[in-house]
Amino acid sequence: MSPPLLEVSNASKIYAMGGLLSRRRFAAVADVSFTLEEDRHEIFTIIGESGSGKTTLARMILNIVPATEGTIRFRGVDLATIRKRADRLAFMRQVQPIFQNPFEAFNPLKRVDRYLYMTALHFTDARTADEVRAKADRALRQVGLSLAEVKGRFPHELSGGQLQRVAVARSLISSPALIIADEPVSMVDASIRMSIVNLFKALRDTLKVSIIYITHDLATAYYISDRIIIMKKGEVVESGNAREVLAHPTHPYSILLKNSVLSPDPSRRDELLAPQFSSTEKDIAALR
Amino acid sequence: MQSINVYIVKRLGQFFLVVFIGINIVFFVTHATPIDPVEHSIMAAAMFGSTSPEAINMLREALADLYGLKGSLWDQYWTFWKRIAVADFGPSVSSFPTPVSTLIGRAIPWTVGLLLTAVIISWVVGNILGGLAGYYRENRLLKAAGVVAMGLHPIPYYIIAFVLLIIFGYLWPVLPLGGGYQRNMTPGWNLPFIGSVITHGFLPALSLVLVGFGAWFMGMRALVSNIVTEDYVVYAELAGVDRNRILGSYVMRNALVPQITGLGMSLGAIFNGAIITEQVFGYPGVGTLLVSAVHAGDYSLVIGITTISIIGVAGAVLVIDLLYPLLDPRVKIG
Repeated sequence: MSPPLLEVSNASKIYAMGGLLSRRRFAAVADVSFTLEEDRHEIFTIIGESGSGKTTLARMILNIVPATEGTIRFRGVDLATIRKRADRLAFMRQVQPIFQNPFEAFNPLKRVDRYLYMTALHFTDARTADEVRAKADRALRQVGLSLAEVKGRFPHELSGGQLQRVAVARSLISSPALIIADEPVSMVDASIRMSIVNLFKALRDTLKVSIIYITHDLATAYYISDRIIIMKKGEVVESGNAREVLAHPTHPYSILLKNSVLSPDPSRRDELLAPQFSSTEKDIAALR
Repeated sequence: MQSINVYIVKRLGQFFLVVFIGINIVFFVTHATPIDPVEHSIMAAAMFGSTSPEAINMLREALADLYGLKGSLWDQYWTFWKRIAVADFGPSVSSFPTPVSTLIGRAIPWTVGLLLTAVIISWVVGNILGGLAGYYRENRLLKAAGVVAMGLHPIPYYIIAFVLLIIFGYLWPVLPLGGGYQRNMTPGWNLPFIGSVITHGFLPALSLVLVGFGAWFMGMRALVSNIVTEDYVVYAELAGVDRNRILGSYVMRNALVPQITGLGMSLGAIFNGAIITEQVFGYPGVGTLLVSAVHAGDYSLVIGITTISIIGVAGAVLVIDLLYPLLDPRVKIG
C-alpha cells in the first residue's frame, strides 16, 4: 500500500518564552495527529479561534516552521529531512499555499502576472515565454479569470476577490496534490466568499486536489468540509466527519463555538447551517 | 499620458511655490536686520581718510544702487526679484567688490564634490550592509557592523571629526590638516593636483561617511527586518524563488523606496554646505563661506547662499516626486 498523502503524527510546536530564570514553555501546536489519504480527495478543515495554533500548524505542513516534536510526512517523506534546494522545490511543487490576505501575499511593487510566470518557470516544464503564458492563462481560466484581465496589473489595481482568485490560480499552476488555504476568505467580501468556497469544491472534484481549509468561519466550514478538526490552544479538541461534528459537538468548546454563531438569514439557514446548528429560538425571535 | 502631464505640472507648481515663499522669507528677514551694508561699506571707506560729505553722499547713492537698496521697500523688492532671475546677488560686502555669484561659484565645486562623494558612499554602503544585516540576522560579521554603526551614530559629529584629525593629522601625520589642496599648487586638471584634492578631502569625507553610514545602516536594517516577516516574502519562498532573488527583488527593492527619499533630501541639503566639517577641516566650501559671511555681516552673500540652498532642497524634492511613480506603482498619478 502506498504511503498516505499527508501524515501528521503527534506534531507539536513549542516555543520557549521568557528570560534565563523564568523559562516558560508555550505550545502553539500540541500533539496533533491526522492523516490525509492519497486517493480520497477531500476538503479537510481546521477550525479554531485566533491563537488556536491553526496557522502555525499550516506553516508546519508547508515546512516553513519545523515541528519541535512529532513528525509530518508527505507521501512518506519526513519534512524534517528535506534540506537540499532540489528536494524543497520538489516538495513545494506538490504542496502549495493560499494566504489569508491577498494584499499582503503579493509584493505591492510587482506585477501580479509575474507570480504566475515565476511559478510556472520553477515548477513546470514550461520554458519559453509562450509556454509560461499559456500555463498562467490555463490556471486563471480554472478560477474564472483570464490572463488578459490581470496582465501587467499591480496588486492595488485588482479587487480583493480577484486577487485571491489569482492566488488560487497560482497555486494550481504546478498541479499540486495538496493546497493549504489559510483563512482564504476571511479578507474578502461576503459576496465573493461563496464563489471562492465553491471554487474549492470544484477544484476538489475536477482537479482531484486535497485541500486543507483553515478557517474560523463555521458556516463555510460546514458547507464545504468533508472532515474537520477543531483546535483550541494548540490542541485538537474534536475531530471527525464535518457534518456530524458540527451537528453534534461534544467538547464544551465546540458547543460554545456552535452556539455563538448567529445565522445570517434565519429563513435560509438550512442551506448554510445544520438545523441544530443555528441560533436558539430566542435569537431568531430577536432578529424578527 | 494626460494624467502624467498633470502630475508633472502640479509638482512643478509646488516647486515654484516653495522657492517663491522661501526667497520672500529671505528678503524680509534680511531687510528686517539692523545691518545696513551701505553704511558698513562707507565706514570701511572712511577709514582710509577724510572724505567730503558730498562725496560720501554720492558714494551712499552708488552703493545703495549696487546693493539694490534704493527707493521704497516695494522698489527694493522688485529690484531683488529682477536680479535673482539672472542670479545676480550684487557685490559681496566683506570681499568688495567681488560679486557674490563669483564667490559662491568658487565654493560650490568643493562642497558638492565633498558632500556628493560622502553622501553616496555612506548611502550605498549603509544600505547594502544594513539590508544584509536585516536579512541574515545571524551573521556575525554583520552583527559586528551593527555594533559599529550603533556605536558611531550617537557620537556628536564634531568629536568624530576632531578624533580623525588628531589621529591622522598629529599622531600619525599621513594626511593634511586642512584646506582643499596644497597651498603652493595651481588648480588644474593634472594628476598631482587631483591627488592633492583627494588627500585633502579624505578626512572630511571619512568623517561624514562614518556618521552617515550609521543612520542609513540602522534605517535599512529596521526596514528590512519588518519586510522579511511580510507575507509576500514567505509567499515568494513558497513559490520557489531563491534566497538571493528574494533579498534583491523583494526585500531590498521594497525597503529602498523610503531610503531613496532620504537620499534625495540629503542631496538637496548639499548646497547648505557642511558647516561644521568645513570649519573643522578648513575646507574652502559653501559652509565656510556662509559662516564668514554671517560673521562679517555680509548681507548679500548670506542672501545668495540661502537662495541657492532653497532652490537646491526644493529641486531635490521635485526630482524625488517625479521619480516616485517609477519606484512605487501605488503612487497615484494625477
